Amino acid sequence: MLIQTPDQGLFDELFDQDNKVRPHCRMLEQWLINSDETLIAEKRREADVLFQRLGITFNVYGEDQGADRLIPFDLIPRVISASDWHKLQSGLRQRVQALNRFLFDIYHDYDIVKAGVISAEQVFANPQYQPGMQALKLPRNLYCHIAGIDLIRNNDGDFYVLEDNLRCPSGVSYMLENRRMMMRLFPELFAHSPVAPVEHYPNLLGETLRAASLNPNPTVVVLTPGRFNSAYFEHAFLARQMGVELVEGADLFVHQNKVYMKTTVGPQQVDVIYRRIDDDFLDPLAGNPDSMLGVPGLYSAYRTGNVVLTNAMGTGVGDDKSIYPYVPDMIRFYLDEEPILKNVPTWQCRKKKDLQYVLDHLPELVVKEAQGAGGYGMLIGPKASKKELATFRDLLKARPQDYIAQPTLSLSTCPTFVDEGIAPRHLDLRPFVLSGKKIQMVPGGLTRVALKKGSLVVNSSQGGGTKDTWVLEDDLC
Amino acid sequence: MLSRAASSLFWMARYLERAESQARLLDVSLTMALIDVPEDRVEQLSVPLLVSGTREMFFEYYNEITPQNLIDFLVLDDRHPASVYTMIRSARDNALHVRGNLSADVWESINQAWFEMKELRQRGVSESNASTVFDWVRERSHMFRGAAYGTLLRNDAFHFLRLGTFLERADTTARVLDIRYVMAMKAMEEHPTQSFFEWTAVLHSLAAFEAYQNTYGHNLDPMNVAELLILEPDVPRSLRGCLQEIASLLEEIESDTARRSRRLASSLYANIRYGDREYIAERGLHEYLVDFLERIQGIAGQIRNDFMGWKQ
Repeated sequence: MLIQTPDQGLFDELFDQDNKVRPHCRMLEQWLINSDETLIAEKRREADVLFQRLGITFNVYGEDQGADRLIPFDLIPRVISASDWHKLQSGLRQRVQALNRFLFDIYHDYDIVKAGVISAEQVFANPQYQPGMQALKLPRNLYCHIAGIDLIRNNDGDFYVLEDNLRCPSGVSYMLENRRMMMRLFPELFAHSPVAPVEHYPNLLGETLRAASLNPNPTVVVLTPGRFNSAYFEHAFLARQMGVELVEGADLFVHQNKVYMKTTVGPQQVDVIYRRIDDDFLDPLAGNPDSMLGVPGLYSAYRTGNVVLTNAMGTGVGDDKSIYPYVPDMIRFYLDEEPILKNVPTWQCRKKKDLQYVLDHLPELVVKEAQGAGGYGMLIGPKASKKELATFRDLLKARPQDYIAQPTLSLSTCPTFVDEGIAPRHLDLRPFVLSGKKIQMVPGGLTRVALKKGSLVVNSSQGGGTKDTWVLEDDLC
Repeated sequence: MLSRAASSLFWMARYLERAESQARLLDVSLTMALIDVPEDRVEQLSVPLLVSGTREMFFEYYNEITPQNLIDFLVLDDRHPASVYTMIRSARDNALHVRGNLSADVWESINQAWFEMKELRQRGVSESNASTVFDWVRERSHMFRGAAYGTLLRNDAFHFLRLGTFLERADTTARVLDIRYVMAMKAMEEHPTQSFFEWTAVLHSLAAFEAYQNTYGHNLDPMNVAELLILEPDVPRSLRGCLQEIASLLEEIESDTARRSRRLASSLYANIRYGDREYIAERGLHEYLVDFLERIQGIAGQIRNDFMGWKQ
């Protein structure tokens, strides 16, 4: 099949600026050229059938027909060279380490605030800040055990961190299922290329969760909001892969500050909860009183130290978009190192000067809610209508502290199967970083791809798709 | 294991078993309606409604019992819990709850059944293709059972799943026998030539036709039919076969608090095991079955209390 070449001025994962195939992608190019359309169409149908049979679906909020929707899966893998991955890996380690230090600090000694690096207001008035976490001793001083860091590759070829997801980052099951699907559909591709394995992620996660407790043999559970949650499939998948119970709030209760699950042989104590429920819904006695998802008394049990929550309560401060601009400073402050990964330049609308700049340059910028997620409530300046621009001007003036703005970065592209054939589409990358006794990750992550031509929105809730992510074990192939 | 998971496994298996029974019953009833004398057709078609206890509900939605109305109501209707469609949906809902306790094979067999059921419903089922659909339901149920037997760890998850199957099966056998037996006896008096079909309908409804031939030969005798479906331990859907499984499954489940369930089940099992056809005849088949149904429901309730009843 013919591969459409990328647009000039963008970084493409397959072709270099002279439209020559990058050395580590030659095998992929050969495969694409030699594949005929009918075979690929057949494999795509097969993939859809398999994903549906496996039940790898997600729910879209506010959509009646949203239940059981498949995320479009693209058959062309995104390939990352070994040297790029090594740099990414050390950058991610460094970043997550600094973020965990930061979270410990803002609930203990406040050194970073005292040193004047971040203002007290930005930390303590942050809606995600949990005063109740102050002075609480957590095992290994860890707050964020599982982080999903969103990265993009800009047209300069460098990776930039787009955002740090430190609460309940999802998507890792797609990373694993995409790989399984590719190996099943195209075994010959794997036979000829040294793709680093990712299949051991559940083992590492299990290890990380057990290490979150100081108890040598802790009982671990995965806590889900239930089957109507968009990521329910992932919760069930991870629980099964780790061989631990998947529980809902109603399966747990607290007695004398200890957490138990209701089993057929009576109460069984729980030591570690990998929770996939937001802070506010975890305990109706401490957070949202209307929450039906949580466990009354959980917060108190947690404070007593009888149960560990992963991630910890109050980690949300660390992934707030208004804190994001300070992460490079955190790395310098806590680790005394220079940041390996770049941040995207960010204007904080809470600052008068920044706000003025943003208002003046709105059509060039991307504006995001500091608290937003899932691609909701954002403005992409260059694509916005006059009306949308005007709406956002008003929003910014009314509540500047709720917004940040960034330049429209040109996300890199990668050949993707679309209606027009094989054409370049924009993508990002979310590797998952696990912090336990040590920081671990599997080589790869979730690659999300925008399926519409020119679109920069890769979120699955906004119609984006996913690809398998290949980290090569050496660059020579 | 989690009490909620035990409950979901139990109900998942019950719903699938129920869907299979319903398919068999409908298949037999629709065929019998073709064979039977015209004035008895509606009676034939009522059997599945009587067995599932939905006759009254049926008339809330439909004016008369026709084959198509029956198919629409008991196969496709999503407004009540007694259609094959809602049973498969409920089985899949329960399976979703316990995905962590299921093997991939079992989960996929149920998940796939649900997607195919949705397609079937969209395409519609008529009298002419109904048998194909009944075959499909039976195949799906076999596939689920095969996946469960072939891939599940023999732990409590497996035990609760099988408890659901056998409780449902015992309940169905008793109901079908109770209703169809009366019809067959009546036919023996009124249309002696038809009565052969009535008796085979009893046996086909409970997948025991071949078993009968093996045991008694071609001679269809009412007491033999009752004996086979109640007392014969080797017939998969006989009351004794089901109770034997229920009693031994309850013994295998890990628990200190299951004594009541065990006592109820063992006592009912002993009754059947040491029962004989003379006793059933003396007692009256209908009375015998009504008593059995009450006791089997008592066991189901006790299982819920012993393993799934958390009052927090």
